[in-house]
Amino acid sequence: MKAIEVNNISKHYGKVQALRNVSFSVNKGEVFGVIGPDGAGKTSMYRILCSLLLPESGTAEIDGFDVVCQMNEIRKRVGYMPGKFSLYQDLTVEENLHFFATLFNTTVEENYDSIKTIYSQIEQFKDRKAGALSGGMKQKLALCCALVHRPSVLFLDEPTTGVDPVSRKDFWEILAQLKERNITIVASTPYLDEVRNCERVAFLSEGIIKGIGSPEEILTEFRDIFNPPGIEHRESYNINKTSENVIEVEHLVKAFGTFHAVDDISFTVKKGEIFGFLGANGAGKTTAMHMLTGLNQPTSGTGRVVGFDIRTEYEQIKKHIGYMSQKFSLYEDLTVAENISLFAGIYGMTDKEIRRKTDRLLQKLDFSEHRNTLVASLPLGWKQKLAFSVSIFHEPGVVFLDEPTGGVDPATRRQFWELIYDAAKRGITVFVTTHYMDEAEYCDRISIMVDGKIKALGTPNELKQKLNQPDMDHVFTYLARQATRSSD
Amino acid sequence: MILKYLLRKEFTQIRRNSFIPRLIIVFPIIIMCVTPWIMNMEVKNIVVDVVDNDRSTLSQQLVHEIEANKYFIFHGQQPTYAAALNNIEHSEADIIMVIPQHYNRDITLGRMPQVLIATNAVNGTKGSMGAAYLSQIVYTNASPSAAAIQSKVSTLYLYNKHLNFKLFMIPALFAIVMMLITGYLPTLNIVSEKEAGTIEQINVTPISKWTFILAKLIPYWFIAFFVITVCLFLAWIIYGITPKGNIALIYLLAMLLALFFSSFGLIISNYSDTMQQAIFVMWFFVVFLLLLSGLFTPTRSMPSLAYLTTYINPVSYFIDAMRTVFIRGGNFSNIIHQVFALFCISIFMGGWAVISYKKNN
Repeated sequence: MKAIEVNNISKHYGKVQALRNVSFSVNKGEVFGVIGPDGAGKTSMYRILCSLLLPESGTAEIDGFDVVCQMNEIRKRVGYMPGKFSLYQDLTVEENLHFFATLFNTTVEENYDSIKTIYSQIEQFKDRKAGALSGGMKQKLALCCALVHRPSVLFLDEPTTGVDPVSRKDFWEILAQLKERNITIVASTPYLDEVRNCERVAFLSEGIIKGIGSPEEILTEFRDIFNPPGIEHRESYNINKTSENVIEVEHLVKAFGTFHAVDDISFTVKKGEIFGFLGANGAGKTTAMHMLTGLNQPTSGTGRVVGFDIRTEYEQIKKHIGYMSQKFSLYEDLTVAENISLFAGIYGMTDKEIRRKTDRLLQKLDFSEHRNTLVASLPLGWKQKLAFSVSIFHEPGVVFLDEPTGGVDPATRRQFWELIYDAAKRGITVFVTTHYMDEAEYCDRISIMVDGKIKALGTPNELKQKLNQPDMDHVFTYLARQATRSSD
Repeated sequence: MILKYLLRKEFTQIRRNSFIPRLIIVFPIIIMCVTPWIMNMEVKNIVVDVVDNDRSTLSQQLVHEIEANKYFIFHGQQPTYAAALNNIEHSEADIIMVIPQHYNRDITLGRMPQVLIATNAVNGTKGSMGAAYLSQIVYTNASPSAAAIQSKVSTLYLYNKHLNFKLFMIPALFAIVMMLITGYLPTLNIVSEKEAGTIEQINVTPISKWTFILAKLIPYWFIAFFVITVCLFLAWIIYGITPKGNIALIYLLAMLLALFFSSFGLIISNYSDTMQQAIFVMWFFVVFLLLLSGLFTPTRSMPSLAYLTTYINPVSYFIDAMRTVFIRGGNFSNIIHQVFALFCISIFMGGWAVISYKKNN
């Protein structure tokens, strides 16, 4: 008997066809990947299989039980980890775990063996609120909560989005251990290295399964989507030793009580440079970025951005920078054009100028037909491209991007980086954080933060040579593994 | 100039919201159509038990008078006081009247027979009003000439001739509508931007704090203007009540109260991290402002400490001034004191709203 058997499932919401005649099967104990762009129907698929959503046609069985009429049996057998954090942020680690155990009529003690390997990694923080954990820790806890009732099938909906490479590796090692216990795992992910960890993958696009096979087969067959050729960093802005420094930071510290989130960092960024600001979850990247953008005051140290002091002249800085935050930064209930005109208006552009530049921008992005579409209804990748374009609409000196490409497929990320290169070519300095190591390679220079300090700084090639590692992923892992502080 | 873009954004967002535009229209209508009928201090339908130990013509006459009275519901004759008390204990009756033996004879002889009125005073107003009405009936029954004496005292009701309670309540209801619409909506505003994460994007732009807060406040003044107009219109259509004084003064008062509540909402919003927290804090203050405002009970009869709080309670000034203009037809010089106080409190809150909004920590 197969663990999961899906036959011709279809589902639509209003005019949108979320799933169209989807059929596949998963063997017991298999690690099965579901990949595809944002809005392909992955989440609908999971929800149908967990009996949270009814399919319009077709059948689906898990361990021989039908998802429509044998709901109770299904729910005893599946563990589901939704894309957004499913934890109660105000409960502690232990309380969350006990709560989920109680929901399934079991206790943590009874099933301690099944979660021991994972839980032991976070047990030292058992009295901490779930909301105060770092991204990687949260994922481990969410996994514990999904496993506490000993499910035989585990559904993971993009479990590692926004999680740093080291925590992701840990996470997949745990999944490998679960496989040994014969648990069937269905996971979706935008990361290619994780796709390769699956035994078989299904490529889902616009509600249709385009192909099922081994990771290599699928990645080769749909090469232009998953493995677009790297971007040549051509025609870069002329950066040389005499270029002015756009960002200068010396001995910057941000302390919360005795905890030094940012601990004495110094660096400079030159005009037109693309500066990658890397670090594990909780290493202090966002805090440092908040100080540079004038959202936060430093505890000590000095910094200048576009020639203004970050301590005293932060309102001046704000006139000359662009910013795209980790959380989504456009107004979802405004249309594309309304968002552009709002932010352009804030920077003092006139209506006429806005209209002219909006037309040009939408044309360039090939977006003109969506001028009056609400931002909420755009796919994630488009939103992010738009948010970036809005953040540089007023031609700032520097643009700060905080994990701009989280949860986006490789092809869209590549398009996003073309926009970044385009901006850099015009002399806009780009300061970017990312968890994708292929993107780190695209930067002119990168710094890697560990425990609030900058542990490495230089061009990607310099770092690889200096630390004697084959690629950026290894460089990052090598440095981040030295971290002593395990959570923010 | 920047303000123009921000205002456009706020109005678009309010319009696009699936819920707020409907709320703004439906809410004043419900309040104005329903509450004036409920918020009424008149006591009616008091259930009376009678224990008639005399069974004479005069006592029968007294019982009939109670039966005929529109304020009372005659529940029936009871054999004993104990039986009647039992009815009160089971909430079947509110008042017992015991007519003594020889009631008729004693009155005829000019002696003073004593009628006992026992009332359930759990609800104090109902108890005392009921007892007062009832004793008046007994009094006239015992000595018809007393009514003649009473008629020599004449009472003249000023401003509200028919003691219409609705006329008294409606101006005060405006305060409730304003409080809920211009108080709660802004409370949710900045907090919801915090939850969506868009506030961070705003904070890295060079918008000044004043512009940002002003852009948040102005839409609620427009809403307040609209809501007050709807309320005035409904008061006229449904109850035939129109303001005696200058209508411009009513708008002035409403705008000042809107400034206070929208600023207050934004202050709470600035200090809160979640909607839940913001709403609960706002609820806490609204209940106190309302109960201590003199809307339901006269402020002068409050304990002195509670009375002191009315000096800083804008709702109290608003209701006072509204009743002066609306019912008595007062002019600007009659309410200058209240307008000045409202203005100072509102400006103070507005300034606080700007200061408490932090673009840089």
